[in-house]
Amino acid sequence: MPVSRRSFLHALSPAPAGPSSAFVAARGREAHAAEGASAPARRSAGVLLLDSNENPLGPGRAAMEALTRAFVDAGRYPTNARPSTADLREAIAHRVSVRPENVALGAGSWELLRSAVRLHASSARHLVTAAPTFEQPEKMAEQLGIGVRRVPVDKDGRIDLEATAQAARWAGLIFFCNPNNPTSTVHPARAVTEFVTRVRKESPDTAILIDEAYHDYVTDPGYATAVPLALEHPNVVVTRTLSKAYGMAGMRIGYAVGQPRAIENFNRWGITFNQNSLAVAAAVASLGDPAHIDAERARNTEARAFTTRFFQDLGCRVMDSQANFLFVETGRPAREFKEACARRGILVGRAFPPLDKSHARVSIGTVDEMQRAGVVIAEVLGAGRPVPAAASSPSRPPR
Amino acid sequence: MSFTRRAFVKTVGVGSAAFMAARRSAWAELLQAPAPARAPRPLLLHNNENPLGPGEAVLEAVRSALGQGGPAGRYPWDDVTQLHQAIADRFGVSPENVVTGCGSTQILREAVQIFTSPVKPLVAGQLTYEECAGYADLVGTPVRAIPLDRSLKLDLEAMADAARGAGVAFVNNPNNPTATLLSGDAMDAFIERVHTAAPDAVVLIDEAYHDYVTDPSHRTQIPRAVKDPRLVVARTFSKAHGMAGMRVGYAIGHPDTIKRLAWEGPNALNVAGIVAATASIKDEARLRRESARNMEARKFTLDWFSRAGFGGTDSQTNFIFVDIKRPAKGFRDACREQGVLVSRDFPPLEKSYMRISIGTLDEMKRAVDVFGNVLGVKAKAA
Ligand SMILES: Cc1ncc(COP(=O)(O)O)c(C=O)c1O
Ligand SMILES: Cc1ncc(COP(=O)(O)O)c(C=O)c1O
Repeated sequence: MPVSRRSFLHALSPAPAGPSSAFVAARGREAHAAEGASAPARRSAGVLLLDSNENPLGPGRAAMEALTRAFVDAGRYPTNARPSTADLREAIAHRVSVRPENVALGAGSWELLRSAVRLHASSARHLVTAAPTFEQPEKMAEQLGIGVRRVPVDKDGRIDLEATAQAARWAGLIFFCNPNNPTSTVHPARAVTEFVTRVRKESPDTAILIDEAYHDYVTDPGYATAVPLALEHPNVVVTRTLSKAYGMAGMRIGYAVGQPRAIENFNRWGITFNQNSLAVAAAVASLGDPAHIDAERARNTEARAFTTRFFQDLGCRVMDSQANFLFVETGRPAREFKEACARRGILVGRAFPPLDKSHARVSIGTVDEMQRAGVVIAEVLGAGRPVPAAASSPSRPPR
Repeated sequence: MSFTRRAFVKTVGVGSAAFMAARRSAWAELLQAPAPARAPRPLLLHNNENPLGPGEAVLEAVRSALGQGGPAGRYPWDDVTQLHQAIADRFGVSPENVVTGCGSTQILREAVQIFTSPVKPLVAGQLTYEECAGYADLVGTPVRAIPLDRSLKLDLEAMADAARGAGVAFVNNPNNPTATLLSGDAMDAFIERVHTAAPDAVVLIDEAYHDYVTDPSHRTQIPRAVKDPRLVVARTFSKAHGMAGMRVGYAIGHPDTIKRLAWEGPNALNVAGIVAATASIKDEARLRRESARNMEARKFTLDWFSRAGFGGTDSQTNFIFVDIKRPAKGFRDACREQGVLVSRDFPPLEKSYMRISIGTLDEMKRAVDVFGNVLGVKAKAA
């Protein structure tokens, strides 16, 4: 890692017109590589946003209808609005087949990941996480002065469950992202169950947070949600978000599922009134419309296959994606790739150490968007011109 | 799963520009449709909300922003920058003086997180907005809770005396739930005393109800906070701006302090709230109308209680704190049965005091009928 986090923050912070310290704290290096002088603003016209694993279509129609109807309650706290936060908990419970007391709400699952670190880890009991994985838990641990053990992913980008279980002795919390961001890979249900059983036996006081942010995008038939494990074990919790397949990243709704005691703790530590009343209405409607999630999964699956093939045809190895982004072995530093793409109006994922020298994360937009992106990416990767996926040459080995 | 790109584009129209455009215009349409009528509900006089909500211009801003092609599905980082700029412009400060949160409650808790510790207590009124003390309990910060003075105002003298060694001195001005105000001069003197007694302590002033104050002795501490690294002023869009459901609050202070205060970052802010707040902060005229509207309904309600023989504090907020001469619980339960929600208990005054939020004048006319029934008075209401 050429630039340590601290020196990175340091380098960014004094710039008066640059992003505020709040941004750096919240997003870490995420997106900041793209916010150098050459990068366009995220919301400028024509810029392709393939950097934050969002659903390019946004919320479904039912959600937007409900949001409009909720305008009359914009002045009411979300506990008083109709639908209210209690209704949202119920809607989630219904969708996940649990009871409302098994559900805690967060202003995005981000908030719940941070609470989990506080609840379970301490200066005496470290956090175990993967490298690379979603960094919010380790960021929180660093802010609180809690030790972090990072277990490298295996060569296929999968979280190394064996090494993670070994690192778990005396740990306060294990963060297990399934599918894993940024490597996009998933562990099958059986492996997850075995892992949980083993940790529960070898280190019974260690809590396990299984982050299923990308659950709705998984197509691997061996995968299943860990929600039943969270109901069964007192210190296993599953988090989910409406930011991804539900297309509501701007609305900030995430949830945790677990036993009522665990859930009460999340509620105690949560930001008071952490839901927007309009977002609550949109979410309740969205949760009541599972068909649009099936459609979104199908849409993403096709665009994912298209984009995977595109990269393979360029000779880049792509990890087996079960999410709405790809982790691609471009064979060059992520930062370089990202900046080159940004100069051409495409924002892609940032560097993910320790795989920052060779891999890039690219979120999956619509097929149209991926076709546009393909032209630029092929250019950046030196292929001169895009290789049409239709002319499917067999995949070459990675460089 | 092998298919050609060409076949793919043909069959999966879902990703096409035409589809996106159609989807967007469908949204635009439905975002303009009037809200359908809804079932009646009790009068909500229990959470100090603004009964009118954010107003058409603000909702229009949300409508057009969300209609433009789906920012609801995007993380709202760019929009936060715009909001910080809009707030900075409104107060003639720079964006480095501004931090926003998921309601001001998030900022209050961040302040406790950052500036207090198990050895640096929180000083607060014994009866004041409880977010700071509640969070202090969670993180193991001791709380020095200072009783109110006889007029139910925060006892600034005693709070300054207690500030030695503290991490944060929290003053809610005007104060929830007592509705009382401390003058600008009194606040100036307090800040100086705390700085002398506790040079490391941060004075945190919660001006959530600022826009409802009508007493001319009031002054915001924002101008001072911009220069003073140990003074922070918190504000919210939940009250006079009418946006409690949107979850946006902010604080203004010295850049060094603000930088530290942004401990949790902007992750909890939602795009609808950001857009709404950015529009609302510019609309000073609406705030003035809202204050006038509230003042009229507040005076009506206090006058009614006074004629019925019940005194209240001099309210400078959108709620009143009334001596109902009986336990709050019985009053609350009886009002609820008749369709009016009023506040919870506020110990140690729960044996006789009740906080009642001010709705519209029409709502308050309906409410006083219920209060009359419950209190057993037929006040000669206006
Ligand atoms: C694995 C994972 N967890 C959690 C989050 C946080 O999402 P949110 O706070 O929007 O729910 C993300 C966002 O990118 C993620 O990738
Ligand atoms: C004094 C005071 N501060 C802060 C708040 C919380 O407001 P917000 O909605 O901004 O979180 C309230 C809400 O009642 C309040 O009374």
